[in-house]
Amino acid sequence: MKSLTNWRWNAVRGEYEEGGPPPLQGTGEISAIDAFRTGTVLLLGGTGFVGKVLLAMLLDRFPELKHLVVQVRRKKNLSGDQRFYSDVLQSPPLRAIVDRIGGEEVIRRKVEVVEGDLDQPLCGISPEQLRQLTGQVDVVVNLAGVVDFDPPVNESIEPNVYGTQHVIELVKLLHAKLVHVSTAYVAGKKNGRISEDIPIEGYFPLRGENGDERRFSVTQELKWYEEFVEDTRQSRLTNSRPVRERLREGGMNQAEHWGWTNTYTYTKSMGEQLIAQTPGLTYAIVRPAIVESSLRFPFPGWNEGFTTSAPLVLMGGEGVKGWPVQCGPLEIIPVDLVAAGILIVTAAVLCGKNKRVYHLASADENPILLPRLVAFLGMNSRYKHKHKKSGSRIANVWKAYVETQVITDKSLQSRRARLHGGLDVIHAVLTLGKTLFGPEKIGPYLKRLRDTRRQIRQQEVTLDKFLPFMFHNSFVFETRNVREAARMLTNEDLKRLKWDPETIDWADYWVNIHTKGIERWIRPVFAASRKMGS
Amino acid sequence: MNKAAFYDLDGTLLSCNLVTTHAYYARNERSLLKSVYQITKVLLSVPLLFGLDLYSRSLFNVFAFRAYRGMHRDRLIGLADDLFEVTLKPSIFPGADALIQTTRNLGYRNVLVTGTLDFTIRPIALHFGIEEVICNRLEFKNHIATGRVLPPLLAENEKAKSIRQYAAQEGIDLKESCAFSDSSADVPMLTAVRYPVATNPTRRLRRIALHNHWPILELRETSSKFPPFLRTVKAL
Repeated sequence: MKSLTNWRWNAVRGEYEEGGPPPLQGTGEISAIDAFRTGTVLLLGGTGFVGKVLLAMLLDRFPELKHLVVQVRRKKNLSGDQRFYSDVLQSPPLRAIVDRIGGEEVIRRKVEVVEGDLDQPLCGISPEQLRQLTGQVDVVVNLAGVVDFDPPVNESIEPNVYGTQHVIELVKLLHAKLVHVSTAYVAGKKNGRISEDIPIEGYFPLRGENGDERRFSVTQELKWYEEFVEDTRQSRLTNSRPVRERLREGGMNQAEHWGWTNTYTYTKSMGEQLIAQTPGLTYAIVRPAIVESSLRFPFPGWNEGFTTSAPLVLMGGEGVKGWPVQCGPLEIIPVDLVAAGILIVTAAVLCGKNKRVYHLASADENPILLPRLVAFLGMNSRYKHKHKKSGSRIANVWKAYVETQVITDKSLQSRRARLHGGLDVIHAVLTLGKTLFGPEKIGPYLKRLRDTRRQIRQQEVTLDKFLPFMFHNSFVFETRNVREAARMLTNEDLKRLKWDPETIDWADYWVNIHTKGIERWIRPVFAASRKMGS
Repeated sequence: MNKAAFYDLDGTLLSCNLVTTHAYYARNERSLLKSVYQITKVLLSVPLLFGLDLYSRSLFNVFAFRAYRGMHRDRLIGLADDLFEVTLKPSIFPGADALIQTTRNLGYRNVLVTGTLDFTIRPIALHFGIEEVICNRLEFKNHIATGRVLPPLLAENEKAKSIRQYAAQEGIDLKESCAFSDSSADVPMLTAVRYPVATNPTRRLRRIALHNHWPILELRETSSKFPPFLRTVKAL
């Protein structure tokens, strides 16, 4: 909706200001247009949530782009090339862009697809293609990796650590530079402002805290990992617990041991450390915070990420009322700003003006406080349940009119205990009823109770995964480096690449863009997966 | 040159007004006690607002918007969709959608020109598929409404001024444009274009319309009796 007015919302001050946006002024030390006109980019992980938006932005905003090489993994019977043209280019963020820039023919002229797999040495690219690419690629942008918080440790270490090792080998062979996308949460269990200048090598979150003098070494960790996986697999016959579950737990325990929040951040930090300890490598590490629905590009509300705040929004929509959060910010950042940030950093790397680490986050300039988000979740629940036609009427009224609350961890635990106690009583009554009145009459109620319990357990597990980011820790990631890099662009670049988290109107974003984007793109997938699960 | 169809909202396309909108927010406060307090305030203010509306629409707006003082902007935005579904959508006049579709089909750029607030307008504009909106905005300090409206307060002469500004900015020919309103307070807006249409007119506007030979349109019941200039252009 175009609103014809001279007033502009100042998100930081929470008031309207008169006049248009400030003029874009860059120093011109970095020219993204020139960088992409003359440099060849090799993109790894272009099929993911961020990758697709970045690819779309690069193709849409930089018609001057010289040559882009995209590595795509084969999937079952689909070759990398087929997957790129049938899956990636046909995905919602790219479909319209491809049409706008002239269709598949234009793409085929500019983009070269190479098949590969990060699990393989040199990323699984064939020797013949490697020969062709050597000396031709100027920068490798690596977005590949597993973003699940707590998978079995091998499923995280293989792509995030060994995969990164393969990327480093590839970059060295191609004589290229590297832009590696990690996560801001490699900081681990920390509080307060997180600087971009903290040394990468040997880092672990508990270092120096309470006189912790341990030394962290990736080599040692990988040794531990190999032994742990071997032991776990060997004890398959003697230990009744599933191997997968023990591997998952092992990863989480090891992360906890060093002060990381989960296996994902632990393995991503190790990947970073491998890069930092490689001599002679020109690199920049980009660390986005929690990546959320697009703000503007390719269209507002695009989302396909399950490791965003989507599970929380979906839970809020289902009527969860008590939210254990701090009065601090949630470090979220729209995916199109992340894509723009990565492209700015890539241009800086190509121009030789880069720094080592770039946080891509919002709270440094324009924080959105968690209690505000809890209120938004409540209002979404109110809307959904007021207009819901199915389900229990009493439950719908309760979920619509009882407001969400910020609660403490202790209160959360006691609420859970009360809830499960209540469910136990209902279960006991129904079981008794089943004996008295027969399974035909009581069976459906018992089934419904089982479904409700499973849903509640799922919600609890999801909430627990997010507690380190909402309750146990409160972060603000400093974003000085990306702001400086953006200021170094030319004025023409600044029209194409916007790094402006300070302008995000969080209320409008959360209510009208993000929540609706999740309902549109994520809920159907979530509902389908739940249906399959049940 | 482009032409536009300028629409007033309250009373023209739907039967709500600022008081019913505020009553919704009062009903949906965070606690029951607060709701009761706010509803009482709204009820007590009704006679005063009614009198003010008869005297001056601008003054009516100033007083009506004061009721928002102290409300958090997040809540106003967060409840806007519900407000639309519960209060506004049911009050859309039966012929409103058809009228908007007709002007769109005839090549008019549809523009809402209303004293209603921006966050309330959004779902309505989406419903009608109207992209452009000229509306009022509340003043906020640290996300909290002060109860004042940011200048210019869109009512009476200010609506006509905004239309002229918009036309100059967007290259709209007002001599080819039309405007729809129900109230005599919008006579300046109606006279700013070549084709004014008194839509669901109040008694006072009906008199003015008859005197000036303006077409009178009733959207309150399904009707295809669009004014002659629309029928003519449609026929072409």
